[in-house]
Amino acid sequence: MPDGGLSFRGVRAGYGAAPVVRGVSLEVAPGDVVGLVGPNGSGKTTLVRVASRALRPADGEVRVAGRDPYAISGREAARLVAVVPQDVIPAFSFTVLEMVLMGRTPHRSRWGGADEADWARAREAMVAVGVQHLADRPMEELSGGERRRVILAQAIAQDAPVLVLDEPTTHLDIRHVVDVVSMVRTLADEQSAAVLAVLHDLTLAASVCDRIVVLHRGEVVAEGAPETVVTRALLRTIYEVDADVEVGRASGRPTVMVGPPAAVGPSTGRAAHVVGGAGRAAPLLRRLVERGLRVSAGVLHGTDTDDEVAARLDLLRVSVPPFSEIDDASAEACLAMMRAADVVVVCDAPYGPGNVRNLELALRAAEDGVPVLLVEEMPIEERDFTGGRATELWTELRAAGRSFASTADAVAWALAGRDAS
Amino acid sequence: MRPGGRRYRRVLIALAVLLVASVALAVAVGAVWIPPATAARLVAWRVGIGSRPDVPHSTEVILFQLRLPRVLLAAVVGLGLGVSGALFQGLFRNPLADPAIIGVSSGAALGAVAVIVLGGSAAFGGLGVSFAAFVGALLTAFLVYRLARIGPTVHVATLLLAGIAVAAVISSAMSLAMSFAGEDVRNIYFWLLGGLGARGWTSLEIVTPLVAVGVLGAAALVPDLNLVSLGEERAAQLGVDVDRFKTAAVALGSLLAGAAVSVSGVIGFVGLMTPHVLRLVVGSDHRRLLPAVMLAGPAFLILADLAARTALAPQELPIGAVTALLGGPFFLYLLRRERRRANALA
Repeated sequence: MPDGGLSFRGVRAGYGAAPVVRGVSLEVAPGDVVGLVGPNGSGKTTLVRVASRALRPADGEVRVAGRDPYAISGREAARLVAVVPQDVIPAFSFTVLEMVLMGRTPHRSRWGGADEADWARAREAMVAVGVQHLADRPMEELSGGERRRVILAQAIAQDAPVLVLDEPTTHLDIRHVVDVVSMVRTLADEQSAAVLAVLHDLTLAASVCDRIVVLHRGEVVAEGAPETVVTRALLRTIYEVDADVEVGRASGRPTVMVGPPAAVGPSTGRAAHVVGGAGRAAPLLRRLVERGLRVSAGVLHGTDTDDEVAARLDLLRVSVPPFSEIDDASAEACLAMMRAADVVVVCDAPYGPGNVRNLELALRAAEDGVPVLLVEEMPIEERDFTGGRATELWTELRAAGRSFASTADAVAWALAGRDAS
Repeated sequence: MRPGGRRYRRVLIALAVLLVASVALAVAVGAVWIPPATAARLVAWRVGIGSRPDVPHSTEVILFQLRLPRVLLAAVVGLGLGVSGALFQGLFRNPLADPAIIGVSSGAALGAVAVIVLGGSAAFGGLGVSFAAFVGALLTAFLVYRLARIGPTVHVATLLLAGIAVAAVISSAMSLAMSFAGEDVRNIYFWLLGGLGARGWTSLEIVTPLVAVGVLGAAALVPDLNLVSLGEERAAQLGVDVDRFKTAAVALGSLLAGAAVSVSGVIGFVGLMTPHVLRLVVGSDHRRLLPAVMLAGPAFLILADLAARTALAPQELPIGAVTALLGGPFFLYLLRRERRRANALA
């Protein structure tokens, strides 16, 4: 889009000698919502100031709706880019309506009052963010969240093709976060606004934005669709935190969980191998990690919840493609893991042709002297899809090892003790 | 309240009535009572409407040589100080700012004192003191403004501090000058406390165009004043050229205050009180505030001057003392109120 949107090319900017933003290039096309994320001090607000004509870049170029904001008047620039700053506290008492009408300034003449179009636009903007009932209230009587929405209305009333939001959802409760987000989406979708939003909440950014740009120490370090950018690796390298990221099955959008997937407990020095499938092992895997066991898992099938959880918990594991039978190489690898473990736990998963070989492997480990625990909340007959082979193997395992007709929790608790029994 | 709202219109009408009434009263009251109707007919006759009412010649002299120029001067000075106060309060985003804040008043005083001490009072057809005061006011404002400007940016906090520092230096220079003043010291004191009695029509002819220019300029800044009160950066985001605005506001505010001070001496609290009280009544939108200030400023100073010359007649009180007597306690009230407001927001 040559004459729309917002673009930075090789922008360097800052205060004093050291630039805060060091050669940033990014594009926001009309109709796009781009999230700008990054740790504190990464240069996000500096970039917002560059776009809003408050900080002339030392180098590089910035374009709003095709124009260089520093080559036109402030008034013209204000017709092209509207900014929502983090907070605005008026020095004098203004009503909400007066505040929102001020957004019309770049469209009004110095001497004239507000005309019908200005009033109409101000009303629309107030309705859009749900502050119309506050129209005659003075700003200083409003809550932080209400003030934010008034400023948002002020920016909407500005009717600019480019909208820059600096943390638009702080101080807002979830309902108003949803309102603001859907309003921003509407502006982009229906009026082709180009939106750049500085956001700290990565989950929110991922759920709203078409694209996410990550700024770190003044440079763009990642850029792309939310699911490709908001990853555990990003959180580790850029934010230096171990947090879990899950991708919503329906939305396809990543969600950040604060903290690692499981709190790894103090090491017991014991190792357990878990045989699972169909999600039957997942809770056990997490509990064993929390209780300080070194856990391995397999053979698992790709896309199975157990496989996903094992991967997220960084477990040593053997997995094969979904719906395939276990090949010899995988079987060998898994058997090696079982033999290296202090105990093998076999979960009460459904067993079919794809995974029945796991029971054979467990049996071989048991024959080699590795203690085997069976989780048996559900009778084997109900989950045997092999026509009796699984039941046969399970019975043999029961004879060779020990059976727990109890919950995964009890298994975990028992294993964490000094003695496996 | 809408800009053209009914309540606002009523406030403006009330202020206009107050202004007219205070003019009529100030013209009528004095050593000789001149009924407002008589005064009105005399003025009409002077401008060529109707016939001369049957009054002694002395009444005509008192009206045209003493009362009317004095009342009009009070009106123009009140207008200048009030609008200047509104400009500075808007610029500093602080309802406690007034024209004295950037050293205009002290600069004017130093200019006036220098001329009185050096014996130049008679220069410019007796307007030497006024001229020196005006120059002193503008020079001081310019100095303070330059001190606060780094590159294209005027730092408002620095402006405030520089104003205070410069005013302190000037006031010690003034003390020094006064110790050499000898018998001029009475003149100086009178000037420092302000007075509208002196010059009649000549002062009025000089100060009126200056104040007119200042008020027109201030009217042009009205939308920017609203936006700047949201903070400079926000104002810029909404299209205000903030640096140009600050320069214009300092220039116009200094022009208005300098012009006023040059003919009347230092009259405090008008520039502080008028905009602030009206903000409570009509709200903070400068579109509505400025017209109200333009009516209330003159009315306030006319009434203060009336009090100054009649309270202890025939002794005349310095008008600065009257406005300060009213303004001082009010200032304290504002301080308390701001405190409470700040606490409520915290």
